[in-house]
This record gives sequence, C-alpha cells and structure tokens, in this order.
Amino acid sequence: MEDYKFLFKVVLVGNAGVGKTCLVRRFTQGLFPPGQGATIGVDFMIKTVEVDGEKVKLQIWDTAGQERFRSITQSYYRSAHALILVYDISCQPTFDCLPDWLREIEEYANNKVLRILVGNKTDREDREIPKHIGEDFAQRHGMYFLETSAKEAENVERLFMEIAVELMEQAKCKELPKYDGSLGPINGKTTSVGDGSCCLRS
Amino acid sequence: MSLSLLLEKYDVSTEEGLQKALSEVEKEESEVDEALSGVLSRACMLEDKLRTASQAYTKLSEVKADAQVAADMVDRTAELARDVSAKVRQLDLARSRVAECQRRVHDLIDLQLCSAGVEAAIKANDYETGAGHVSRFLSMDPGSVAAARARGAADPRDAMTRAANTLREHIVRRFEDAAQKNDDENVDKLFKLFPQIGRAEEGVRLLAKYLATKLGVEIRRLSVVAEGEGAVFADAMTRVLEAAAAAAARAAALAALAAPGLLPAALAALQPQVCAGVRRVSGALLRAAARPASALQAEPALAELALAHSTIQLYFAFLTRRTQADAASLPEAAKQAALDAVEKLIAECDLTRTAQDILGHYLELEKFFLEESVNKALKMATPQPGSTTSSLVDDVFFIARKVIRRSISTGSVEGACVVLNEVSAVLERDVTAVLRRRLRAAPPDPLPLPAPPAPRAPRLALDLTALDLTADLAHALNKDVEAQRLLFLAHLAEAEAGAEWAARLAEEAVRGAGGAARGPTDTHKVESCAAGLGAAAAALALAAEQGVAAVRAGLAPRLALWADALVQPAPLAEELEDDADAFPQALEQFSECARQHLPQHTVDALLLAVVTDVATRAEARILHHHYDREGGLAAERRCRRAAGRAGGGGARERAARLAQAASLLALERPQHAADVLRPPRLPPARVRDILARRTDFKIEDIKKLKL
Ligand SMILES: Nc1nc2c(ncn2[C@@H]2O[C@H](COP(=O)(O)OP(=O)(O)O)[C@@H](O)[C@H]2O)c(=O)[nH]1
Ligand SMILES: [Mg+2]
Repeated sequence: MEDYKFLFKVVLVGNAGVGKTCLVRRFTQGLFPPGQGATIGVDFMIKTVEVDGEKVKLQIWDTAGQERFRSITQSYYRSAHALILVYDISCQPTFDCLPDWLREIEEYANNKVLRILVGNKTDREDREIPKHIGEDFAQRHGMYFLETSAKEAENVERLFMEIAVELMEQAKCKELPKYDGSLGPINGKTTSVGDGSCCLRS
Repeated sequence: MSLSLLLEKYDVSTEEGLQKALSEVEKEESEVDEALSGVLSRACMLEDKLRTASQAYTKLSEVKADAQVAADMVDRTAELARDVSAKVRQLDLARSRVAECQRRVHDLIDLQLCSAGVEAAIKANDYETGAGHVSRFLSMDPGSVAAARARGAADPRDAMTRAANTLREHIVRRFEDAAQKNDDENVDKLFKLFPQIGRAEEGVRLLAKYLATKLGVEIRRLSVVAEGEGAVFADAMTRVLEAAAAAAARAAALAALAAPGLLPAALAALQPQVCAGVRRVSGALLRAAARPASALQAEPALAELALAHSTIQLYFAFLTRRTQADAASLPEAAKQAALDAVEKLIAECDLTRTAQDILGHYLELEKFFLEESVNKALKMATPQPGSTTSSLVDDVFFIARKVIRRSISTGSVEGACVVLNEVSAVLERDVTAVLRRRLRAAPPDPLPLPAPPAPRAPRLALDLTALDLTADLAHALNKDVEAQRLLFLAHLAEAEAGAEWAARLAEEAVRGAGGAARGPTDTHKVESCAAGLGAAAAALALAAEQGVAAVRAGLAPRLALWADALVQPAPLAEELEDDADAFPQALEQFSECARQHLPQHTVDALLLAVVTDVATRAEARILHHHYDREGGLAAERRCRRAAGRAGGGGARERAARLAQAASLLALERPQHAADVLRPPRLPPARVRDILARRTDFKIEDIKKLKL
C-alpha cells in the first residue's frame, strides 16, 4: 500500500506548444524530452514529494492544448486542486489567449482552485512578453506567478513544490479528508477543494 | 697342521712318533693334492665361462650397430610420411579449385543460357520461366562474372541485365493490364514473379496500388449511408472498415510471400482510401448527431458514435496485430522498425483525427445526455403533495451506469475517464445538493418514539396516553405530515444507498475499462477518475449523516421527556416492573420502525445517538430532583434496566454511566458509595453532587467521603 498523507490533483492548461509536457517531464522524470509529439487528450503522471516530513502525492494531469480535445480536458478542471496556466514568453499569441483560458477555468473549475500563471521558456533569447506584464496579469486575476524554463530546469521544481506546500497548508486548515493509506484509490475521498474558505490567498 | 703343532703333538725323537708324524704329513699331503686337483678342475670351468662371456660381448656390440641402423630408418620414414601428407593437401586444394572453376564455367554457360532463355521466354509469354532464369542469374556467384571479366571477356552480365529489364517491363505491363481488368488471378500470379526478379518492393508497391484503387471503389460504394432505422452510420462505417481489413489481410498474405517487413508500406498505400471513406461516413454521422433536443433523442446518436469509435479502434488494433505477425520472423531491429512504421502510420493518418472528432462529439453529447437525464430525474423527484417514496437515487444511478458502460464501449480509456469525471461531478454537485436540501431538517416526529408513562398519577397517565393517541390520530389524518415523514426517511435511505452505489459503480468502471487499457498508466488513469465516484460516495454519506442529525433534532423534545422520566424520584409501586421496562420497550419499538425504513447501520447510529442523548440528559436531570431512598431505588431500577438493553458499543457504555449515577441515589448510606463505583468511574465532584440530592444524606458525611 502506498503511504502518503495527502493527494493533490494538479492540472496544466495553455496553448499547444508552450511547454506543458516538458514542464511535467522535467519535474517527474528530470529530463527535457527531445521532440515528442503533441499531447493527445490528457496525460497522467504521478510524483510523491515530501513537505515538512509528510508524503504528498501529486497527481499531474497534462492536457492537450488543441480545441478538439476540449471536451476531454475540461472534465479534469472540476476536481483539480491546482491549475497551472502556461504561456510561452517568446510567443505573444500564447499570452493573448490567456483570457480565453481563464474564462474556461471560471466555467469548469472550482472557484477556490489554486491558480498559477507560468511564463515558460525563459532560456530563449527572443522574449516577447516582459516579466512584469505577466506579473501584472497574474495579479489582476488573483493568480500566483512564476517564470520557468523546462529546458534549463529553471524554477520547475520550485513551481511544483510551492504548489504542494500551499495545498498542504490549505488542506491542514480545512481538514481535507486525509488518505490514511488503508483506503484504496477508489474508496479514497478525492475531495474537490471544498467551500469552507479559510487562510488562503487574500 | 703346522710344523710346530706337529712337533708338539708327536714325539719326533722316536721313530714311532716320527712315523706317525710322517703318516700324518702324508695324509695331509694327499688331502692337499686332492683339494688342489679340485681347484684346478674348477679353474677350467671358469675359463670356459669367461670365454663364452667375451664371445657374447662381441655379439652385443653388433646388435647395437644394427639397432642404430633401424632407428635411422624409422626417422627417414617419418620424414617421408610428412612430405606425403603435404602433397595430399596440395592435391585437395587443387581439386577444389578445379570444382570452382567448373562451377564458374557452368555459371557462365548458364548465364549465356539465361539471357537467351529470358529472351525466349519473353517471346513465348512464359514469364514464369523467364523469371526463373533471372532468379538463377541473381543467385550466381558474383566471382564467376568477375573472373570472366578479369580475363578480358565482355561483361556477360550486360546481356542478362538487358534481358532481365525487358522481362521486368513486360511483367509490370502485364500486371497493370491485369489490374486494369480487375483480373485478380493474374494479379496474384504476376505479383509472385517480382520477388524472383529481385523486385519484391516494387511488386508490393504495385499490388498495394492495385488494392488501394479497388478498395477506393468499394469504399465509395459502401460509404453511402442508407436511409433507415438503427445504427445506419455505424453500420456503414463497419462495412467500410471490414472492406479495408479484407484488403489489408490480402496485402498481408501476399506481402508475406514477397518478403517479410514490407507490410507497413502496403498498408500506408491503402490507408488514404480508408481515411477518406470513414471521413465521409463520420461527416454524415456528426451532422446527424448534432445537438438533439432531448436526452431521449440523443441516445441513438450516442450509441452510433460509441460503436463507430470502437470500430475504428478495432481496425487499428487489427493493423498492429497483422504487422506484428508479418514481422515475427525478422531480426529484432527490423521487427521494431516495422512496428514503429505502422504506429506512425496510425498516429498520423486522418482516421485517427476522425476518431478523435467522433470521441469529442460523443463526449459532448454524453455530457448533455447525462445532465439532461439527471435534471429530469431531479425534477421528477420534486416532492408532490402526498408522495411518500423517492426513486431519485435509483434513477440517477441507472443513468450513471448506462452512461459509464456506454463510455467503456467506445474502446477509449480517455473517453471512459471523461465520463467518470462527469458522472462524479453530477453526483457530487447536483444529486448530493438535492439530498442535502431534503435532509437538512426533519419533519416533526420523523420516527415514532413512544412517550414515557406519566409518573405519580396513574389516572393522569392514562389521560396522557389518550392524548398521545389523539395526536397519533391527528398525524394519521394529516396525511401530508405523514407523507413528509415517509419521504424524509426515503431520502435518508437513498442517500445511504447512493453512497454504496457510487462505490460499486467505481469498481465496475475500473474492471470494465481495464480491457481497453494499454498499460499501467491507462489503468492508473481509470482508477484515479473512478476515485471521483468515491468522492461522490463520501458526499452522499455526508448528506445521510446530516439526515441522521436532523432526526435526532426532531426527536429532541421526546428524548428530554424520557431523560426526565428515567430519573423521576416518584415510585410507582404497583406498576414498578412495567415502569422500569418502559424505556427499553420504547427503544425496541423505535428501532423496529426505523428498520422498516432505513438500513441497519443507520438504525444503529440512530439508536446510539438516542441512548447517548437520553443518558446524558438524564444524568443532568438528576441534579434537579430530590430523592428519598424509595425514589432513588425507583430511579436506579429504571436506569439499570435501560442500561441492560442499551444495545452495543458506545450506547451501552453511556447507559452504564447513567446506571452508576442512579445507583448512588439508591444507597442506604453515603459511605457505601465506593461499593457501586467501578471504572470508568464518575468524577468525584459529580458523585458528591448526586449524593447530595438524597434528602436524607448529611452533607458532612458526603464531604468526608474519600473518593
Ligand atoms: N527553449 C525552450 N523550449 C521549450 C521549453 N519547454 C518546451 N520547449 C519546446 O517547446 C515545444 C513544445 O513543448 P511541449 O512540452 O510539447 O508543449 P505542450 O504542447 O504545451 O505540451 C517543444 O519543441 C519543446 O522542446 C523551454 O523551457 N525552453
Ligand atoms: Mg503537451
């Protein structure tokens, strides 16, 4: 039986090609995959991390950016504890689509979901979105903000670890049902982030 | 005998002595003579022996010389033998060279014959023979030709190559003729010649082209969707893909004759026709399945979409299996290359896109169906005046199960996962919300707990019972209230059942979708999405808990009455027995009624709540009364009976504490308190407070107690 105290679902969204899959691979496998195909539907990865000596299992859902997979990807928003919205700092259109993604998040995700805006590919020379523009956008929409490079492993670990820490704090003060390990994944209660709001973001 | 000895022995001064000595000397002389002659004779013998020995020695040296000669001869023989075997080896070599020469001569002769033979065969339209010659040419030792050329002869291959090319052109032309005429028999026959003339790949290419053209015509015919009932689109798609599979199987059978590993190329040639055909059918299907007006109308389209998607998945699985079989005999690297090729073909072809479109559309429509159907079920479950039962949860889970099973029938783990997500959402959000609303507050007296008999005045008690009966009558008459009560209990039972349902459905889904899973990741994915149903189960269980709490709240006034009745200081002398048993009997009646409406574990939970509640209140009520010994004994008796039948677990424990408190009231003297206290003990302060309720106990005595 797996021994973990907490299980959190993290869902990555954003235009195709911004580097969602690379971010997930970098974090879960420690590599930058060479030219893999675009994600079909939804990919599923797991990584268990430790926060304050407690095991936290992160279930990471990597979604396809294309329109035709929308009916698949949307169904994962509701049960997400954290949503990572990714754009490519060297590609203006991926930033311009953010409002569309936010609308979708509003519609399908729990309104208490932890939301993080990520500007990926900081290693690239041809930056089009200055960092402060991303920061502004995140602030205006009540999101955390981080710039990353999946290629150079910059801030990737930090991104997921901070999510784990934040979710664990939320869980502790809200007493999300804990996994005591005796429950299989089926009987286990994967709660959506419940309504009782407390100590989270202002 | 020495002379001195002789002289000593014989007196030589006398004649006689002299004579004797003489005779002695003579005797000795004769003895010496004898010995001497003996020695002499032996000397003779020795001489003889010596002579013989020296003769033998001479002979020995002769033998040694002979042996030396023999050894020399053996050496020389060995040397000779070595020479001979070297010669034999040379001979062997020479012979094999002769054989090779002969073969090359044969090859060269054959080559002449072959090119002549090919020309003759072409003239005679006998392509089999021609191909046989070319095959012979191709299997020739390249050394033969090289050797011939090295001796300055004209390259004998030129003529042959020319002939072979001519033959190839003829065969290709004939093949195309046969293809044009749809002459399958000749197509197969001619196809088999290509590998012989070293053109296996070209043959497979031509064959695939032929099959593709044929398939295209067939598919255009099949992809016309007939107007009619039933799964017309999915049927058309099945027909198209069956034709495609037949063509692929034929290509596979023939390609296996040519060379293993060529199948992916043939499949790639067929694929565009398949893609186009399926795209046509799916276009019509998607148009027909465009957003219907009602859940009912959506069902046929859903069935078609699921079937169509699963048919495409089966077709892909078939292609992969055929390629595996085709490449089975190849070395590992080539096998992998073939599998990679077909995987790439599948991933990049338009049919995959079509399948994704179909799945996307299916999922949208399924979500619509699910939400519409559940909304309808919720609407139907809106309580009508007088309705006493609810099939809300049954209806919803019937829909959920249908939807999940259909999603599994698409053959797509992805699709099943999405539907599991949607079902979990609907259950957790909509269904649970309704049940929570309905279970928030219980109607008055949700479960009948009989009132306690009235103390002190039996007549009044009778009157009260009569009043109670009138109230019951009023309830019965007021059907509305009664209906509300029953409906509430029905919802409570439903919420409990729903939680079990959700867990069972999750298990079923994991088992069902397992078949489509193509690896542990797929399995994990399904399990994780099915866990969403677990969350829904938890939410439903929570709603049920809320219902139980509401029942308790509804019972509160009556529980207060019972609490007071248990610790009444008034004895009812003549009805003591009945009085003491009243509470256990009331509990029995209560749980019997509860069992008619609720599952056992809910009944148990309720009983525990009731007993705990009454015991806690009763213990507190003691402090409001004053007791004499009689009154204390009566209270003690009632409480002990209650504890004796308080059911199991926590209820028994809580009632035991009450019994302990009451037994303090029944003591003869406060000093006996220690005798009735047993773990878990009441706190000392509480013990003193209770003892102080006895009017006949002295406060000083109580204070003095060591507790
Ligand atoms: N330079 C750079 N390229 C990246 C980075 N992350 C992803 N890419 C490239 O961006 C492309 C798309 O990445 P992918 O992870 O498939 O994007 P997705 O569609 O969002 O999953 C790939 O060619 C990656 O190699 C990064 O941090 N830096
Ligand atoms: Mg991707």
